[in-house]
Amino acid sequence: MPGLKIAHDKCTECRMCYVACREININAVVVSPTSQHLLEIDERCTYPKCTVCLMYCPAEGSIVEADTGRSLVPPPPEVWAENRRWPRSP
Amino acid sequence: MSASTDNLGKALVSDLLKQSEHDAAVTPMDAVLDAARGGTFTDDHCFRLLARLWTLKRMMYYVYGGWAQGINLNDYPPAVAYLFGKQTYDESTHEMQFCDEMLRRRWVRTQKRLFEHPYAEFGTATRTGAYIFCLRALANYPQNIRIAALNLGPKVIELAWTEKFAKSFPDESMHALFQSQLAETRSHVLMGRFQAERFIQKEIDVELAKRLCAETRRDYLFFLEEAARFTLGMEGEKAGEVTVSGDID
Repeated sequence: MPGLKIAHDKCTECRMCYVACREININAVVVSPTSQHLLEIDERCTYPKCTVCLMYCPAEGSIVEADTGRSLVPPPPEVWAENRRWPRSP
Repeated sequence: MSASTDNLGKALVSDLLKQSEHDAAVTPMDAVLDAARGGTFTDDHCFRLLARLWTLKRMMYYVYGGWAQGINLNDYPPAVAYLFGKQTYDESTHEMQFCDEMLRRRWVRTQKRLFEHPYAEFGTATRTGAYIFCLRALANYPQNIRIAALNLGPKVIELAWTEKFAKSFPDESMHALFQSQLAETRSHVLMGRFQAERFIQKEIDVELAKRLCAETRRDYLFFLEEAARFTLGMEGEKAGEVTVSGDID
């Protein structure tokens, strides 16, 4: 399954990913309706077409590829492509 | 702190909770829940409800922004600033949840469109506006008094109707949403209790807190009235038609 997920043992819940994702109208980062209100990434995530949240995440290892579990924070060089940083038309 | 000032705060908290719990027993939100349980609650009703709740929650950024400017360092122990910071964060969480739910159901496609939507717009000459400006005006008062006015007043009422929604709202995702907010709203009431018990120590502050709490409680009930009417598609209130009492004396 393509897409990203949040590693809750590393995430600081700073919400920068939420703000960035909402800003570009993808809305894939959501607050889970559970008592802890952790952030989750749902099926609207367009990764690898968009990598905006990775650029803003301050917590190493907290956003990973859903299918491989590979850490994308800090972003590896291949996801730093110019057209993925701020995709206005996802 | 002497035993007498300690008792002053505790007696105030007990008074405020008693009055708020009385007001919370029946609120205009009961009509919304009845409609939902009765099967007459449509998607449009649900959109209206979430939009009004989102509008109020997002305006709390404006309220708390003003309050935060009025917290003087060293006036209170760090725990008070921390608790206030947590409350600000929790309101933000709830705002995000309401917005998420409307976007997830595709009633609007983007947050920008939601801001522009008539269901979610903020009007100044409304009950929502009156409540928000009432809270914002509390920025002029010390933190112990304004936190008592909000957390031992409207928050008690909010907790009561949220509990009812969390218990028996038939839609599964709405049920989960309200259920998940209970712990935080309950903690705000407890924070209010903690701060008012420990830091309201003068007779004049007790009287002020009682007055301000009655005002914010009344304005919150008016907001609920407006939100419930809007949700159920009823006409706006006419003079003398409101079901909640405007009398606080």
